[in-house]
Formats: sequence, C-alpha cells, structure tokens
Amino acid sequence: MLIQPFSPAHAGLVRDESRTVGYADSVSFPRSHEQVTQIVRSLYQDGIPFTVQGARTGLTAAAVPFGGHILNVTRMNRILGLNRLGENGFSVSVQPGVPLCELRKALSARRFDHASWSKASLGALSAFMHSREQFFPPDPTETTATLGGMVSCNASGARSYRYGATRPYVLAVRAVLPDGRSLSLRRGECFADGYTLTLPLENGSRLTVQIPQYIMPKTKNTAGYFAAPDMDAVDLLVGSDGTLCVFTELELQLLPLPACIQGVTCLFETEIQAAAFVQAVREQVEGVVSLEYFDEGALAVLRDQRADHPAFASLPPLDEWIGAALYVELHGDDEAFVTDRLNEIGDLLSACGGDPAHTWVARTQTDLDRLMFFRHAVPESVNLLIDRRKQAEPGITKLGSDMAVPDEHLDHILTYYRQTTQALGLHTATWGHIGNNHLHVNVLPRNLEEYTKGKALFNEWAHKVTALNGAVSAEHGVGKLKAGFLTAMYSPESLAQMRAVKAAFDPKLLLGRGNLFAEKEESR
Amino acid sequence: MILDRAACLSCGLCADSCPQQAIAMENGHPVFNENCIQCGLCADSCPAEALKRPETAAAKADNTVLVVVEQSNGRVEEVSLALIAKAQAMTGQCAALLCGPCPESAAQTLINCGADTVFFAPDERLVYPEEGLYTALVCALVEKLAPAALLIGATPFGRSIAPRIAARLHTGLTADCTALSIEEETGLLLQTRPAFGGNLMATIRCAAARPQMATVRPGVFPVPALAGPRTGRVETLETPAEAQPFYQVLTRAQGAQEDGLAKAEIIVTVGRGIGIRKNMALAYRLAELLGAQVGVTRPLVDAGWATTQQQIGQTGCSVSPKLLIAVGVSGAIQHLSGMTGAKTVVAINSDPDAPIFSVTDFGIVGVCEDVLPQLIEALSK
Amino acid sequence: MKFAVCVKQVPGTTEVQLDPVTHTIIRDGRKGVTNPFDAAAVELAVTLKEQVGGSVTAISMGIPAAESMLRDCIARGADEGVLLTDRQFAGADTLATSYTLSKGIEKMGGADCILCGRMAVDGDTAQIGPELAERLGLPHVTDVIAVLSVEENALVLRKTTADGTIDLRVALPCVITVLREVAQVRLPSIEGIRRSFAAPVHVWSAADIGTDPARTGLNGSPTQVMRTFVPEKTKITKMFSGTPEEQATALCTALKEVL
Repeated sequence: MLIQPFSPAHAGLVRDESRTVGYADSVSFPRSHEQVTQIVRSLYQDGIPFTVQGARTGLTAAAVPFGGHILNVTRMNRILGLNRLGENGFSVSVQPGVPLCELRKALSARRFDHASWSKASLGALSAFMHSREQFFPPDPTETTATLGGMVSCNASGARSYRYGATRPYVLAVRAVLPDGRSLSLRRGECFADGYTLTLPLENGSRLTVQIPQYIMPKTKNTAGYFAAPDMDAVDLLVGSDGTLCVFTELELQLLPLPACIQGVTCLFETEIQAAAFVQAVREQVEGVVSLEYFDEGALAVLRDQRADHPAFASLPPLDEWIGAALYVELHGDDEAFVTDRLNEIGDLLSACGGDPAHTWVARTQTDLDRLMFFRHAVPESVNLLIDRRKQAEPGITKLGSDMAVPDEHLDHILTYYRQTTQALGLHTATWGHIGNNHLHVNVLPRNLEEYTKGKALFNEWAHKVTALNGAVSAEHGVGKLKAGFLTAMYSPESLAQMRAVKAAFDPKLLLGRGNLFAEKEESR
Repeated sequence: MILDRAACLSCGLCADSCPQQAIAMENGHPVFNENCIQCGLCADSCPAEALKRPETAAAKADNTVLVVVEQSNGRVEEVSLALIAKAQAMTGQCAALLCGPCPESAAQTLINCGADTVFFAPDERLVYPEEGLYTALVCALVEKLAPAALLIGATPFGRSIAPRIAARLHTGLTADCTALSIEEETGLLLQTRPAFGGNLMATIRCAAARPQMATVRPGVFPVPALAGPRTGRVETLETPAEAQPFYQVLTRAQGAQEDGLAKAEIIVTVGRGIGIRKNMALAYRLAELLGAQVGVTRPLVDAGWATTQQQIGQTGCSVSPKLLIAVGVSGAIQHLSGMTGAKTVVAINSDPDAPIFSVTDFGIVGVCEDVLPQLIEALSK
Repeated sequence: MKFAVCVKQVPGTTEVQLDPVTHTIIRDGRKGVTNPFDAAAVELAVTLKEQVGGSVTAISMGIPAAESMLRDCIARGADEGVLLTDRQFAGADTLATSYTLSKGIEKMGGADCILCGRMAVDGDTAQIGPELAERLGLPHVTDVIAVLSVEENALVLRKTTADGTIDLRVALPCVITVLREVAQVRLPSIEGIRRSFAAPVHVWSAADIGTDPARTGLNGSPTQVMRTFVPEKTKITKMFSGTPEEQATALCTALKEVL
C-alpha cells in the first residue's frame, strides 16, 4: 500500500525547521514518478488535500501539513545520470529527494551508484571522471535540504551573490500535476506568448495559464510566482512553493569548480565598520562570491553555545570585543589572483577600522569547512536557544525575517532594523547575505508578548521593504508563515492573478494548502 | 620504480594514476619525484607493462619468528598470544620475549599458545611497558637470535617501540598489518596493510634487511583456545646494563569515561519509532545488559525524551562504536552522518524500507515494543 | 626554546576514484594539504613558543611544491621553513625518510623539542617520530594529548595509552608525537599570510645536508610494495525474519560473535 495511515512514528513529519507543528491523516513514501502518479490520482479522486515534503529543512512551514496527506519524497533519492552539455559542460539528473549534501559528495568524490544508468549517462560519467571537478552552485546553509525542496522554493545561499539562486540551474523538470497528469519541460523549449502560457502535457493534452502581470523586484526574490512576459515555462514551476506540481525528476546544470577557493572571516568592533567594509568590497574587489554578515547578537548566542555545547566546542574562540563579523568568499582560476584579492581585502580592512590581524583565512577545504561550520552554527545555536525558551513558554517560536532591499538602501535598512527592534526592547540575532542587502533578522522572544510584538513588527517591515522596492521573501519561499506578507507586497489584483495560476494547475485546490495563499483560519 | 624505456608507450596513464602526484612526464617518459612511495599503482596502470617495482635480491631466509609480548601489570595483551599462534602456524618456529615481573604461569601460557622458546626478562622496572627498556631488550635478543621476522601487536605501545627498534636495527617495518603470509618461492613474509585511509590495500615485503618487522592490528588473528599444554624452553634474559627508560612516569590514570557517547564501544540509539515514551525504559534496559550507552535522534530531544548530549548526528555528536543497535531509528541523513564510524550496525524498525537498513549489518523488521522484550530476555540468558 | 616540527604534505583526500569504464585509478586534481596531525603539532609548538619564547621551524621532506605548505605553517605562527628536496629522496619508506629528516635537523643545528604528528593520514604508519628519535639519539614519547608544563630541562606531558593516560616527565631535548586533540589549529590571518610570503624557507638538497645516497630514497628503503588492490567494501545486510522471539534469538546469536 502506497498510502499509509499516519502513526506516532511519523510524528517528525509534521514539523520543519521553522518549528511549526501540523497534523496529517495519511502519509506515503513513493520511489518513482509512476508511484507519485498513482498516489496523486487516488488523492485527486477522493478530494484529499496533500502536502509535498522533502527533508523539512525549510523555514516557512511550506512542508508542514495541516490535515490531509503527506507526500514525502525523501525515498526518491537516486541520482539518475549525468548528461553532457556541449564540449565541456555537464548536467546531472536527479530525483527530487536527493539531499544537496549527497549530490555534493557524489560530485566531489566522482562516485555514483550507476548500476541502472543509461549508456549515454555512463559515457558522460566517463568524460566527467576526467574533466575538471564540477559543482552545483546554489548553497543554502542547510545542506541536508533536498534538491526538490530547493527547486520548490528557488533556494539561494551565500554564493548567490555571484552565482544567483537555484532557478537558472534548473534545465528540465518532470512533474505530476495535482490531477495526476504528467508534465515534462525543458528550458528553452516552451515559452509564454506575452502573458499566455500553454503547457503541453505528456498525454497530449494542454494546460493554459495566464501569467500574472506584476513587476518583480530587482532584488533576490522568492515572494510569489515568477512572472514576466514571454517567460520560459520552467521558470514558473521553480519557486512555486509546492503549490503547482510534484517534481519527480530534475535536471540541474553544473559548473566547473574554480581552481582556487578561499574564504576570510573579518572581525570588527562595530556594525558601522562592517557596513562600510561591505560597501568597499562590493565596489572594489573582484572575485567575491559571497558576503555574509553576523551581528553582535548572533555572535553572543554563538559564544554562549560554544561554552555550553560540545558540538560547538570546535568553533574558533570569539573574543568579547568582537561586535560584528563578515565572511567573504573568493573564487578564482589561479591562486595568485585570489591572494592578490585577499591582500586588497586586508588593505580595505585597515581603511574601514578593521585589522588584517583580526581575520580567519581558509585556504584549504578543511579550513573552509570550519568557516562553513561557523556559519551553520549560528542558526543552529539560535534554534537551541529558542527550544530552551520554548520549554518555559510553549506558545513562542523564533521569528526570522528574509527580506532584501536594493544596494543603495543597505545602510538605511540596517539602521531601521536596529532602531525598530530596540524601540520594542526585543532580543535579536541578525545574520545573512549582506552582499545582497538580504539579512535574516531573528527576533528571539522571551515571552508571548515579545512574540506578538515581533510578529507585528515583521508586518511593518514588509511594507517598509516593499516601499524600498525590495522583496518580503528573498530566499526561503513564502510557505505558510510568510503568506501574510504577500498582501503587503502585491496588490489585490496581483494576488488574484496568482490565485488564477494556482487554480489552472489545481482546480480542486488540493496541493500545498496554506502555502502562498493564507487559509482563512488555521487551527494550530 | 623501474622503467623499461623501450616498452614505454608515452601514454601518461602512469602519471594520471599516481595518487601522490609523484610522476611527471619528461620527454615522453615518466620521471619520479620525492613524493613516490613505491605503491606501484603506476605499474598496475601501465598498458605495456613497462613499469616494474624494483626487485631486491632475497636474503637467505631462516625461519624463526620472534614475537614481542606486551605485558602490563601481570596482564598479557591478547594480540601477543594471537601473534604467537600465527607465527607458529606460519613457520613452525616461534620465540617470544616476555618482559617484566610475571608469574611463572605466564611463560607457560605463551608456550601453550605456540612459543617454542620464551625469553623472559623479569626487570622490576617493567611492571608496565616502557619504550627505552623494551627497545634495548629486543635489540639485544635480536642480535643473539637473528630471527627472520619480528612481530609486535599494533597497540599504542607496540606502535611506539616497533619503529624505534626498526631504526636501531636498520630494517624495514610494516605498520598495522591486517594479513600475514609466507611467500612460497622466497620464504619471505608478505605483509598486507591498508593505505590511503583504508581505500587501498598494499602487500609489502622486506627482502634486503633482517629481521622483517611488522606490527599487527589487534583482532586480526584469533586468540588461540588454550587446549592442551605444549612443552617449550624458558630462558632468562638480563636487561642490558646501559638501558635507560626514556621518561619518568608521574601518574597513571585508567581510561576516563567522561567522554561519553563519542568514545563509547557499544551504543543503543533510539528514534521516533520506539513508539510511546515509556518504551524508552526498554531501550535503557537493553543498554544496561550490553554495557552500552544510549544515544537518540533529534526528534526525541525535541520531544524532551532525552538530553541534547545524547543526540547523535549533524547537530549532535559523532560516534564510532564497535556495535550500534538502532531501535526505531528511520535513518534520516542528518542522523546517519553522525554514525558513519560505527563498525557493526543493527537496526530494528517496523518499516522495511527505512533508510537505516541501507547501513545495517543485521536487521529486524518488527515493532520495537514486540522485539525489544524478546531481545532483552534472550540476552539475559 | 627551539622547536622543530616535522610536517608532511598529503593528498587533499584519501578517497580513491575509479573510472567506471576502464577501472583505472584517477588522480584527484586537488592540491596537497598539511597532514592534519602535523598541523596540530605546529599549533602546539607555536602555542608553547608564545608561552616560553623561542622559535618554531617547520621541516619537511618533499617535492619543491611543498614550499607552499611550509609557508602556510608560517602563516599559522611558525618562524621559518626547511624543505629537504632532491630526486635522490624519491621512493623513500619511513626508515629512509627519518634518516633524511634527521640530517636536516642536524644541519639546522638541532632543536630542543622536535614534534611530529602521530601519523600521516595517507600512510597511516605512525613510524617517523620514534625512528627519527632513534636516529638523533633522543628519547621519544608517542600519543601526547597535552603539555602540562615546560620546565628548565624537561617537559611534563600527558600521553594516552591503550586503557587510559600517563602523566610523565621527559628530559629535553626529545621527540614527541601528538594526537590531533593536542591543539585546535588556528586559522591564519591576512597579516600572517603576508608575513609568510616574506619569511625564509630554506631549500636543501642531499648535498646540502650530506646524506649517504645508500640510506636515502629507494636505496635506503628496505620495504617494497609488491601489490596494491582495492579492498572489497560491500555491506551486506542480514535480515532476521520470523516471530519477534525467533528474530531476537537469531540476533542474539549474531551479536555474541560481534562482541
């Protein structure tokens, strides 16, 4: 039986990293496109709503069900093959449940379970073995995320500063629509005619969709469906937040790994020094692929966890004077180039009130892993802190923002975040992609009152960020938790156009209920 | 490596195959640099068989194998006994060196295991083993006995004295072997050991110097069951007068348990599939019977059923026990990443498709509530 | 105090990659890195130097490209590097390597404390430290996890044993081999990297250190590798079926063999 009743052993499946807890009636773990089709058809027939989920590492509760069926794709975790793109390029075909870390491991060790691969794939593998090392650029902090999840929310990460989000790397998809029909799309083969998109389905039928006519912000953005005249059909499905289809196969573009990768974490006394340094690096240093920020609050939480928790004991010591830290990653095709850039960074540090002696440079994979661990330890240790507070006050949870603004507003928005949270006396920890003016301000409520205040404040921010031509959700997707923000960013007409897209794909509105479009009242 | 220039095809496959990057192609032929460790992968990769490992003339091989026994406070390491039996089985001539104050029965035990002669050095300073004195004793005995081979258990102490002895005797040493045999044509000792982190095995021999030395991992060869008494000689040895300990021991501490899960030899891990909270007691009972520690997956910590210190996985600790029994653990990737070091993995889970079974040596598909009480009962017997 | 630390450049990964079609081993293009045990030894030496004063020299036998590794050691606090490089050194086993290193250290004018990582991750032999100590005629202590104090002419150390730890005093000069836990390796700073490009790395040949050609490289290596092979590494899951009682009994029998 593909569809099983929900049992206590499945308790973990109704929560995600946002700490939202839902409920469900049944669950399935399909392994193939055919099994997904069978499950979806049965659900469609019975009118049962369902939620697709991968590793549940998301931060917006998009994978958390509130009733109905859980379609869990983590067992669709095979790498299906490699493909050659032109002379030197490669792409990889995967099932949606492959975790990013597993794909990375396979690419870097060049080791695949290729027993069932096609002849063409094996040929590509042979070429791949002798080519330069390849990588998949999108790099969300949580590398246990599944690729299906990453495509669904158009994930990005630190390196998006240079390489962009997941969307452009999706070359082809195969999916099951909410009514059980199959769809295969390849980038460059199916475009909208103005705002009308006609999708050819595998059974020969067609699906026609009207593309929304809003203008998307120029910043990083995952708020709402991607929409542009004459757009590629693939782009609509990427970032659709589990509301349009169930991905069953993905073909992802790979890039040759740069020969030299180095990272440096720069330590500052104040946020002002760090912000000045960001501006200087953006303007003057080539080869920068990420610019990541950690504020005083984030460093303080990390400092405490390092003392208390054995898992974080291997972090470098954080002296008390450090009030801000910035991670800069450099990619280049030779070491001399990167070393020169590192030197420039040293000079800029001296100019901005930093000190080349107060830096941690990583020039080997081991050291890069240590700085990555540091980056990853920030949200992890904040979660641990919240879990502790939650024990005393079960009603609270972490509030994490995911908003981006255009370059010219960086200083302004930093000051604004700082002033508005301080005015309410909220405990915050802030980190994230400062290179894209995209910071995760996390409010860490100590009680229900602060939780409510923080929630209201985020709504205020949504309006502010929209006014600055920014995005209310830049990389986490919208899911259920940020659905409310869309009303700040989009007009009622735009939202209605989005709902029309949803209805074209899913007339019974069964898939991913509560994602993007807020349900009237959710009983939590 | 020896190159037959005439046969060389200049294909460069040897350079591609070298994991040490020790080969550069110069004028169409391979040239070896300082990184070369003679692993011979290039010879294996050569389509023309133009590369050969250097052969050294075999020295005349005699057969005695000397085993250095490690004795600590009256207790003889099991690996020493296993090596004596292995030496006897390989060549039929085994001598053993036993150091430190020991009861008389200790020498007889070695003889029963397969030693023909036990050299006994009852130096009062060697209640616990010490490098300086052992090195002097072994080297003096090797001079007298001229054994063909010298075997030492690859315990931390064995791995400290063996290279010291090899350097003093100017001979080769193969560390941490997992297999030993005698090459038929030459009578030389073939020593097989893992290289490149266990990703490759290498068979090594030492033809040009004596004795052929190897340390052998504990647990590789079986400890002989002491069936019947054998007869053998015991000869007493004096520690050479000039021998001195390398260092002065101030205090000795027995293994601290404070390391917890990370150092635990046996672990029972519990996941959500355990069912209801009171079933945790079953897991703890099982752990108690096995002398195991209890680890958990993250959902159990989230549920408040266990402490953060007990969490295994990406955000918890990494473990490498000899035996891990996973009870109701589905095997999420975040959890599996923390248990890759486990040697033998047992899983009990009601879902036959749970990912945990892909890393499992022994598996039971069943409900924990049903299987655990039976297992506890079977183990109590 | 004068510290010398023996460091080795090892491949960035110990994974062996095979071509699925031709089954030949493929060289990993990645750069060599400092053996992590040796990196811990450098960190320990630098920490001790910061406490008691003195200098730290990182010394390696290797190809000319290993100079970058020595500069990395300097970026992390060492004062200078010594690279022993010569075609004559090719094909060395640990006996020949320890001899070569001992001649290099003699040429440096010796050291008060010589530190080695417990083992190299590519070779796994853990032999260099004790062999080097024998060549230099110094006492050695293996598996050091902590330096408890530095005295006028001695070190007080904690080392691990098979079943616990020993605290001991060893006279200087001496050779110690350290575990990775002995120190948490620091990340270099931009300032440290700038310094590393200016600091001296001495490159010495066989002639410079006066080695006997019969005792270095292939000639000085009594062991030879006869054959290498990829071990079979397949995990086969044995499933026990039947009633819970039958399953438990079968598992119990299997466990007894493991324990």
